Amino acid sequence: MPRPPVRHALRLLPLPTNSAGIPAVLHPLSSVSSSRLLSPVSCFLLSVALAGCTTVPTVPVITYTGDPIVDGKAQLAVAPAKDRVLWQYRVAAAALRHGQDAEARAQLDDAQAATAGALAVSSPEAARARSTFHAESDKPFIGEPYERAMADYYRAILYWRAGEPDNARALYRDAELIDSDTAEKTYAGDWVLPDWLDGYATARLGGDGTDALARARKNSAHPLPDYDPAANVLIFVEFGRGPRKLAGGEYGEQLRFSTEPSRAVSARLTVAGQTIALPPWDDVGWQAITRGGRVMDHILGNKAVFKKNTDTLGDVALAGAVIAAESSRREKQRTVIGPDGKKRVVTEVERDRGSEQTAVALGVVGLLAKLTAGAAQPTADTRAWDNLPQYLSFAALRLPPGAHPATLTYYDAAGQPLASRTQMFTVNIPAPDPTTISDAGHPRETVLFRSEVPD
Amino acid sequence: MNTHPRHCRNYVLYASLAAAASLAGCATQGVQNPAGAPVTEMRPDERGRVAGTGVESQDMVAVTDKMARKILEIPEIANAKTPPRIVLEPVVNNTRFTVNKDIFLTKIRTQLNEKASGKVRFLDRAMMATLEREQRLKQQGLVTATADPNVTEFRGADYFLTGTLEGMSTRTTQGMSDYVLYSFRLTDARTSDIVWESSLDIKKEGLEDAAYR
Repeated sequence: MPRPPVRHALRLLPLPTNSAGIPAVLHPLSSVSSSRLLSPVSCFLLSVALAGCTTVPTVPVITYTGDPIVDGKAQLAVAPAKDRVLWQYRVAAAALRHGQDAEARAQLDDAQAATAGALAVSSPEAARARSTFHAESDKPFIGEPYERAMADYYRAILYWRAGEPDNARALYRDAELIDSDTAEKTYAGDWVLPDWLDGYATARLGGDGTDALARARKNSAHPLPDYDPAANVLIFVEFGRGPRKLAGGEYGEQLRFSTEPSRAVSARLTVAGQTIALPPWDDVGWQAITRGGRVMDHILGNKAVFKKNTDTLGDVALAGAVIAAESSRREKQRTVIGPDGKKRVVTEVERDRGSEQTAVALGVVGLLAKLTAGAAQPTADTRAWDNLPQYLSFAALRLPPGAHPATLTYYDAAGQPLASRTQMFTVNIPAPDPTTISDAGHPRETVLFRSEVPD
Repeated sequence: MNTHPRHCRNYVLYASLAAAASLAGCATQGVQNPAGAPVTEMRPDERGRVAGTGVESQDMVAVTDKMARKILEIPEIANAKTPPRIVLEPVVNNTRFTVNKDIFLTKIRTQLNEKASGKVRFLDRAMMATLEREQRLKQQGLVTATADPNVTEFRGADYFLTGTLEGMSTRTTQGMSDYVLYSFRLTDARTSDIVWESSLDIKKEGLEDAAYR
């Protein structure tokens, strides 16, 4: 049953009027009018409440250009400090999709440094987010584990491009580690591509990547290929919209995820007479929902319980105030003889001072409880990296030096090509350059990144 | 006449205090340290305020200090009649942390060059393309030369110095633990003997704020 709002509960107080129509029911507490008591209290509380809520900072207006990188950086420039990483993530993904590697690298490096700092040292903002009267979204955003893993995944692509497969491998390992403390161990560290690429990088560096390959195969829904040590082209493909965050539960205290089904569920690359299948090796939505409960969920649950209990206390106290107020007035009829000598029946109101005081006390308690319940903030943080993909795919292939026209076709669940999303581009493979030899003596790979995710 | 008896005033006082306390949460939308924190200069071997469980400057300093000292103690260096020539090979990162791999070897090289008084020489292979171009210009007579440019004087390596960073990480709801083993070795270029090897291991643990768990 919905609880009456505070304003409504206040109206439940009996307010009979005097002859002038002015509320006067609680007046004889002693020699002071109760209306004079309640009025300043109510005014004070309302003024404090309203004053407290007027300090919300105004959001600067952004003039949108339609360019996701320009607009994202404009948002980043005016975003509160707690949202900086969120905007850096968004700008980085957009920059990577538009081939602006330096921008993506700078944003990801800054965001990951901020994330590492936030995890290393508990900030006052993070501590406040745990308190009853502050929202979880007051903490600096660093993302849920699936978001941090995606930051690693994107940064690793840039390391591959820079000819540093071991640093890329470090981030694949970090991504799996971030996912390793799930509530249900079945889903711990179950990203497929990071494991597969960990082993691939190891093989490229002259090591043994079979353990990582075995882990990837165990978690994959599709048969994973063996490593091709002679491959010189790596293509990373993503499609579908990633998960959204929702606040569920009575007070929005439960963090939930929703992923809109992607029309594209697989892709195929045709280049230089080769057709390369690109199945969805990883589902980011799946990674979001298989984490299990967070410690923060317990804190938010406690906040919700506090909110509910204080709200109930307010209801009970206000109801008690009504009962006490009504019982404080007792009408009594008696017969009197008027000046004209006639008998008349008059009604007198007897006031019970104790009950009136109880009514006022309960009213104040109820009001405070209601205000306290209103101030509690159990809502889960639903800020989300909202331009992530749903599916991740990858392939390694061999191409000779030269320019190769390529076609990337996306397919729906029925296996039908999504013609409007087909991408045609040219893959340029440079001649081997002895100055760009990787650590293990391999020529540096050509790393392609293609996305179906709209801006 | 006093129209506000004591208990009435108390109601107002209590109500005011309680209301202010309960509503205080609404008014704290501001930013902590809005003016930021002043920049603090620290020694690179000092553990900073934002230390995490990863590879940090104090680890790098500890590792490179130890390696530079140890290299000077090995007989092949200490007793060599002519300074051995060393080529640095990139460190292999096998941890979950991204690192600037050059920084370890650069630090070791500069320390040895500063403290070894010419007991070792490092060959600048990163400059080879530039050096070869310069040699071609000399051979073509386009620039002056103080020695016969047709005689190859680029030196070969006596030793290769390289290293690896190996890591082992654990993450549970109880916290994060990272163990990193830094190992460096000097390999004889002629025989492939590892003439020296040393390591330093560092373990760190941390527990993230519950707001992020």
